[in-house]
Amino acid sequence: MLIDFILLFLLAGVPYYLLLEKIPFIQKDKIFPIAALLVITGMFVSCIFEHKSSMPFIVIAFFASLFSLYKANETNNLHKLTYYILFFNAPLLIMLNTKESILYGASLIIALLGVYLMGRYYVKNYGSANYQSVTGMTLVSPYAGLILTVYFTALALYPPFPNALLFLNGILKSEINTLWYIVVVVIFFGNFLIAVRVMAKTVFGKPNDNVHYIDISPTERVLHLLIVSVLLLLSIIGLQEVIS
Amino acid sequence: MEKLVLLIPFLPIMIAIMIGFLHKKEHMPKVAIIFSSMVALLALFGTYYVMSTDKAIDGLGGYLIYNELSAILVPYVAILGLVIRKYSTKYMWDEPGYKRFFILLNFIFSAIYLLVMSNNLIILTIAWQLMSIGLYLLITFNVESKSAIKNGGWTMLVHKLADLLFIIAVILTYKTFGSFDLSILSQKWLALYQSGGSDNAMIYLIGFLFLFAAMMKSAIMPFHLWLPYTSEAPTPVSALMHAGVVNVGGILLNKMAFLLLLTPAVLNVAFVMGLITAISASILMLAVSDIKRSLGYSTVGQMGYMIMEVGLGAFSLAIYHLMVHGIFKASLFLESGSLIHHARKEPSVPKRLSYEIFWEEKPQYNSINMFRIIAFFAIFPVIVFISVKFLLGEDFFHFNVATLIVAFAWLTGTQLFLSFFEVSKANSPKVIFTLISSFIVVLFTYEFVGLALEHFLYGKNGELFYEVATLHISGTMTIIMIMSIMIVGWYFTYRQHFVGVPLGEHKPNKFRWRIYKMLAKEGYISDLYVKYFKIF
Repeated sequence: MLIDFILLFLLAGVPYYLLLEKIPFIQKDKIFPIAALLVITGMFVSCIFEHKSSMPFIVIAFFASLFSLYKANETNNLHKLTYYILFFNAPLLIMLNTKESILYGASLIIALLGVYLMGRYYVKNYGSANYQSVTGMTLVSPYAGLILTVYFTALALYPPFPNALLFLNGILKSEINTLWYIVVVVIFFGNFLIAVRVMAKTVFGKPNDNVHYIDISPTERVLHLLIVSVLLLLSIIGLQEVIS
Repeated sequence: MEKLVLLIPFLPIMIAIMIGFLHKKEHMPKVAIIFSSMVALLALFGTYYVMSTDKAIDGLGGYLIYNELSAILVPYVAILGLVIRKYSTKYMWDEPGYKRFFILLNFIFSAIYLLVMSNNLIILTIAWQLMSIGLYLLITFNVESKSAIKNGGWTMLVHKLADLLFIIAVILTYKTFGSFDLSILSQKWLALYQSGGSDNAMIYLIGFLFLFAAMMKSAIMPFHLWLPYTSEAPTPVSALMHAGVVNVGGILLNKMAFLLLLTPAVLNVAFVMGLITAISASILMLAVSDIKRSLGYSTVGQMGYMIMEVGLGAFSLAIYHLMVHGIFKASLFLESGSLIHHARKEPSVPKRLSYEIFWEEKPQYNSINMFRIIAFFAIFPVIVFISVKFLLGEDFFHFNVATLIVAFAWLTGTQLFLSFFEVSKANSPKVIFTLISSFIVVLFTYEFVGLALEHFLYGKNGELFYEVATLHISGTMTIIMIMSIMIVGWYFTYRQHFVGVPLGEHKPNKFRWRIYKMLAKEGYISDLYVKYFKIF
């Protein structure tokens, strides 16, 4: 029981970001690293202590997840979006078996790390991580457009990226019940809707004449290439897992 | 050596990577065309191997297979891909994102090959979803267009729903039958059918999930709206969408054919949904004012026929139908681009073959009696066909409802053609000759090639599907039902496009006007979506 409580908190089943957002000395861009760190700790804890996911905790995480979905839909800030998406996926992290949960969590955090770094790129070049007015990246800054497309395609649960494969692997190896159907449907569509909505406002759209577009620097390209490589490596693992 | 054929799904990815490294614009289509020609040659070699040895090529751990279905579809997709790439070379030249276009095109072709050649449900799931994301990126190719992005979003929503149903179906299949391997599963399903079938509700659920997933991606009503509204995509993408992507429903159902042996109710639902789609879309096709949307509804209608054929157990006919329709629709789309291109240069429409046959004004124009036209275009070809079949021998005169469906699919296609070209102005014998010839070609090809196709794809098992399709619609009933499509269609065609019809100066009948308005506005469904579902 205690381990369930701890995991509920660590695996982002409780939207504690509401509190963090209120603390003045914690900047918004620090919340994702804190949350990601706690999720990673949660993965270690679930690995060490044997446990079985409990229905009431999944339900709590699910309601918190719906709230995070609402928040993700409201925001135009890439930094905020990263932890909203992380919290949105929490019920799945709690519901899946340990190994599948760790693999899915890892792919989710890596894809979100990419988005987080893109947020920093926005801050550096456009003043804030708000993507509302910086539209049409594909045409004017093709590398940034391509990288955003990759990350959001991964988050929208499309192959060949690992999130989709590990999501499939996770749900395939878990027990099917009514809650399973509800959580799977909501997570599957929620991730997709958030990702497509952001893509429509960043990757696509007419370039804004009032914005001076700057593409990502060669150093940043290498960094993102590394992240994409890790994602593809996870895809191979995911494919092996799901086929085995 | 023959195992090389299994590399086909990966070759377009290699082509895309190569294009990614190219800097000169003129080299991109060259690389795409040269290497996709090699893919087409490899596909033809694979088909030759399968036909000559009567053996499927399998490998890569049994995940991919080049079997009878692949032998038919892969060369078709490869040749279609080659034509589309060649066409895109000049058509897309001035568009921003030329490289991106060719990369995405190769990406989606890779997904289609993977889908056709997959022998494992997991690989099929991956291909099924890859195709959706590839399609989305191609539909939204014109990134500056708000409507393209919005309609792309709606398309994706329908496709995502199809993906979800598909994934759940795959999971339930695994939990019920314990395997992902399609060859093993097909054997299990056939054995189960031969041992008397099963009343397991789970099997029916799986069947319905696969059917609805297929219906969504094949734009069957009520999941059809994405197709007519995505015509804003570049013309080569429209051609690919109408000739390739939309057919995946039919391909999926063919892959699941032996599962559907166990679920007659699923086949019955497929027939009914297909019938509703065929009738509604064929009417809407003639009522909507936008020519591209009209083409979209034409495809929806043809997909309706295809699902109907599956519902009747004519799985191979569905394959035949989707290929013939694909070629017809791709040529329509691809010709439209060049026609517009020429028309921009010349004040009058250029004298292309279609113009000479269908558009040219003939001085000996006489007013045409509607009933004579209907009799000529609809009844005469049927009489010719039946007479020839009868003359060939009584044994050969085996009444086949599927043949009727092909006949009426041809009729709706003809209506679309007539509504575009205003044939009556010409009153040309060439028109009549061409249309009736096309009818004879379509039906006779089905009789001789289509039935051979059935034997090739399913062998002696082909007959089983007809036995399972328990919704035995009599020939008369089918004629009555589908005749209604034809009569309504002809009525609209006649009223809208045939000259010499006095409309009069008086106001039209209110009731009829309202019906027309409702049809022209596509039942207000799209308005409803725009007004109340503001997701994208």
